[in-house]
Amino acid sequence: MELNINGKPVQVDADSNMPLLWALRDVLNLTGTKFGCGIAACGACTVHVDGVAMRSCVLPLSAVTGKPIRTIESLGTPDQPHALQTAWIAEQVPQCGYCQSGMLMAAASLLEKKPKPTDADIDEAMTNICRCGTYQRVRAAIHRAAGTPAAGAKA
Amino acid sequence: MKRRTWILGGLGTAGALVVGWGFMPARSRLGTPGDMLLTQGDVALNGWIKIASDGSVILAMPRSEMGQGVHTALPMLVAEELDVPLIRVKLEQAGADKIYGNVVMLQGGLPFHPLDTQEGTRTRTVRAGQWVVGKVARELGINVTGGSTSVADAWMPLRMAAATARASLLGAAAAQWQVPVAEMMVKDGVVSHPAGKSAHYGELVKAAGGVPPGEVVLKDRKNWRLIGQSAPRLDIPAKVNGTAQFGMDVRLPDMLFATVRLCPMLGGTPGAIDAKAAMAMPGVERLVKLDAIGGSTAGIAVVGKTTWHALQGAQAVAVKWQQRLQGGLDSDRIETKLHAALKTDDGFAFFKKGNPAQSEGRAARVINATYQAPFLAHATMEPMNCTARVKDGKVEVWAPTQVPQFARAIAAQVAGVDIDDVTLHVTLLGSGFGRRLEVDYVGQAVRVAMDCGGRAVQLAWSREEDTAHDFYRPMHAANLRAAVDALGNVSSLTIKSAGDAISPRWFERCATVLNGPIDLPDKTTAEGLFGLPYGIEHQHMSHVHTRHDVPVGFWRSVGHSHNAFFSESFIDELAVQARQDPYVFRRNLLKNAPRHLAVLNLAAEKAEWGSAMPLGHARGISLHESFGSIVAQAVDVSLVEGKPRVHRVICAIDCGTVVNPNIVAQQMESAVIFGLTAALYGKVDIKDGVVAQTNFNNYPMLTLAQSPVVQTHIAPSTRSPGGVGEPGVPPIASAVASALFSLTGKRHRALPLVA
Repeated sequence: MELNINGKPVQVDADSNMPLLWALRDVLNLTGTKFGCGIAACGACTVHVDGVAMRSCVLPLSAVTGKPIRTIESLGTPDQPHALQTAWIAEQVPQCGYCQSGMLMAAASLLEKKPKPTDADIDEAMTNICRCGTYQRVRAAIHRAAGTPAAGAKA
Repeated sequence: MKRRTWILGGLGTAGALVVGWGFMPARSRLGTPGDMLLTQGDVALNGWIKIASDGSVILAMPRSEMGQGVHTALPMLVAEELDVPLIRVKLEQAGADKIYGNVVMLQGGLPFHPLDTQEGTRTRTVRAGQWVVGKVARELGINVTGGSTSVADAWMPLRMAAATARASLLGAAAAQWQVPVAEMMVKDGVVSHPAGKSAHYGELVKAAGGVPPGEVVLKDRKNWRLIGQSAPRLDIPAKVNGTAQFGMDVRLPDMLFATVRLCPMLGGTPGAIDAKAAMAMPGVERLVKLDAIGGSTAGIAVVGKTTWHALQGAQAVAVKWQQRLQGGLDSDRIETKLHAALKTDDGFAFFKKGNPAQSEGRAARVINATYQAPFLAHATMEPMNCTARVKDGKVEVWAPTQVPQFARAIAAQVAGVDIDDVTLHVTLLGSGFGRRLEVDYVGQAVRVAMDCGGRAVQLAWSREEDTAHDFYRPMHAANLRAAVDALGNVSSLTIKSAGDAISPRWFERCATVLNGPIDLPDKTTAEGLFGLPYGIEHQHMSHVHTRHDVPVGFWRSVGHSHNAFFSESFIDELAVQARQDPYVFRRNLLKNAPRHLAVLNLAAEKAEWGSAMPLGHARGISLHESFGSIVAQAVDVSLVEGKPRVHRVICAIDCGTVVNPNIVAQQMESAVIFGLTAALYGKVDIKDGVVAQTNFNNYPMLTLAQSPVVQTHIAPSTRSPGGVGEPGVPPIASAVASALFSLTGKRHRALPLVA
């Protein structure tokens, strides 16, 4: 079937009930999107479908055909990083880094909906799990990218 | 058994290695150029440092990056001594030479009281023990990333390696230019002489290879320009654009994907297997029966065209699972047994001082409390996985592992080849927390690859398997007793804990070189109870090591993680009994522990201890030393809809000399969230051999919205570096429990705090 991934049409040889996550990772070798739980609980697999953050581990290909899909691989480029990627580096957010693709995609979706998010907006949108506990830096980096004042004090 | 005999007995478990250690050459850890990978255009100057023709530096990296920042901290040591920009240090996976072994981690296994091991005041026994173990560790050369030891272990050898390389490079320039070495300057990897000559390292390295370094002197700390700075982490750019390569991101030509389904009952086995339906599914390739490998439970693996096909196929296999012969494991029953063991078994005394029994006899009151902590899973974000190819008698493995040598060893054992026929690539780790000190998943991947006709196969566990087949933090119980006078002054403290030993089981399944004939008392599960800094005259700390056959493993901060909850909560109880503020009470007990006192004071000061709190909020404080560092945490807690909400955590740490303060702060933030998740929610229940928790929906993790603000304050120090990855975990549970006591009057003596 044909998918629209990162602005390009892509032929995927896969069943329509295969979750998007595995088509990205194991068929197309787009490994930036991660597997964490398989039940849409952790958000490591977050991608954008039609501009909205979705958890690709439970999203069958049949539900995304014809819709623009965006993964971490096209969030920015080395020359033109996304504002969040710049902020992520400035705040030194990642530790192990495994959940960070999903975090960034969730944050990017939030900023598209709410360019000036409050702490409450961030609490509501950022439900991804990070076992390294990068949460307060994620919050700070979103504020930095959005140009909104960081509420919580940073070390 | 006396402590000293125990130490030597402990070394005896290393077997023949103890025999004749006195004759071993006192080899340094500098190594030789031959220890590094031979690469075109690069010249190795010792076992750690290669210089490329463009002047960049290539460092042999033996430690695994799992988020703790070691792939930045270790290059910083090298960049400092070589005077090159940090970004010019590239990493190459270290080989198998013994110079890369972790000496400090093995020394950390000695059961000494932390106050006896402080620099400058080490006792004779401590010095002797550390010397012997250092020598044995040097000979064993075990490469492990664990025990919060990477920087402490690399501190001298890496700086020496870099300084030695620098000396040879300068020597080469001096010889070429016919000028004295003393007149040379180095900046950004460029050597220059006031007379006008200059050359970068790449231009000098060929000649430097033959130049003896002479007397090598490390930089004085006042001349450091990098150590102590918050240099940006080298691994972060790849972690914000999806290009960082974790174990699950390995992609090879023509590769297959596999997953496991292990017997749901821990220690059980697969009986009759019907794979007809599974094999009929498109994309499902084959089934491989898995024995118990590396301490795992037996089961099956299913190979498919993608991980999805493998997962679908594995679910479609009908297996008649069989309980282990001894019957199903049960965490409630183990809890009962541990409490019984506290009453009936004297255990092994790790620390004795004065005469607690006599002190109790004379006391106005004896305060007594029993605590417990549950089994816990590691729940690394990246589930267990490994990629392997077995072809023409050679094995190639790509693994996110904390123990590369043990991973190679199990690969060789499973494939039936010589260890030299195994090539191992260590990937980035999607966190470790001790789970990747195990090699079960590596052995399984190799076993599956053996049936895949020379094709590479990536074996990845589902989250459900990862939760159900962990090596859990063992359940522990402890009884604590204190003798106090009428004013609440404490004259004696007696602690006895009980729980399953980890080390002997880990030796059996992974570190076979350390395996001994009998189980010795496990320091790793007892630590944190017998090394308290408090000036209490009479003390007796003992531990009963049990064995209940639940697979148990090292979980970030190991014994400290529960023992600090026990000891610090009990100290809090004693403060309440004495009608004293918990901070003031501790302060009075720390007159002979100035470093601990300074850290406690720092946390209290930054938390504005004693100032007014918003209505419904309460503070708690806790202090604990582990892995060579001291951490105090002061928390601000309230109840939201009856549940604890932690708003702010002030961390103070003395971790000796700091290499990168930002990484220290990151690790404190990380440890607080990790420890708080466990303190509030963490519990693994086992019934009829089956782990009840399955995934993040019923083994919950703290989320961003629930997380406190964490502030880190570092106490200045010129001591050698201590650990950073783990020491932030232990204090948090008791600090929160203390605040909850202030809020509710209820004393929590069992974890988790939220039932």
